[in-house]
Amino acid sequence: MRMRAHMLSGLGAAIAAAGCIPVQIQAPDEPIEINLNVNIRQEVIVRLERDAEELLENNSDLFGGPAR
Amino acid sequence: MTRALPFAAALIAGALLLAAPAHAQNDPVVAQARAGGLVGEQADGYLGFAPGAQISADLRGRVDQINIQRRALYTRRAAERNVSVNEMAAAVACEVFQRRIAVGERYRAENGQWRQHTASQPVVMPSFCPS
Repeated sequence: MRMRAHMLSGLGAAIAAAGCIPVQIQAPDEPIEINLNVNIRQEVIVRLERDAEELLENNSDLFGGPAR
Repeated sequence: MTRALPFAAALIAGALLLAAPAHAQNDPVVAQARAGGLVGEQADGYLGFAPGAQISADLRGRVDQINIQRRALYTRRAAERNVSVNEMAAAVACEVFQRRIAVGERYRAENGQWRQHTASQPVVMPSFCPS
């Protein structure tokens, strides 16, 4: 009975110790690439679909003609 | 008769002026550069120069001019819709990638890599575009 209590407390100590192991965070060697598109909200793009179509159709000098 | 002549001339001139926007064409120099793979559409909504391409000062000026005008267009519409200029440009890029990159033309994908639209390889759409 006493033996079991010892074992349990030992287990508890082991778990506690595991929780205290310092996690090493290494800084990446290469700079993190920041993607510009993170700032683009897709729901906004969906909302702007009509506008985009219209801009293309009315500015063929800037975007080329439709028969491509 | 002699009196009606200036009037008729003015009428014709006016008609020509009105008709001009309908005849607005893609700059032939830029169109040729696109077909030749020197210039291409980018996922950011602007035209870009393909890497390694020999770009004349004339061509650079023409492309820059188009991009300046595109930016003005995006800026105005973005303000009207209360979105960022980048978002308006991205929305246009989605349309451009879908229907304005001809087979044979090169384009700059979202990841920055240049690709070519071929019969067997369709244009890779940016991830932010609605599917």
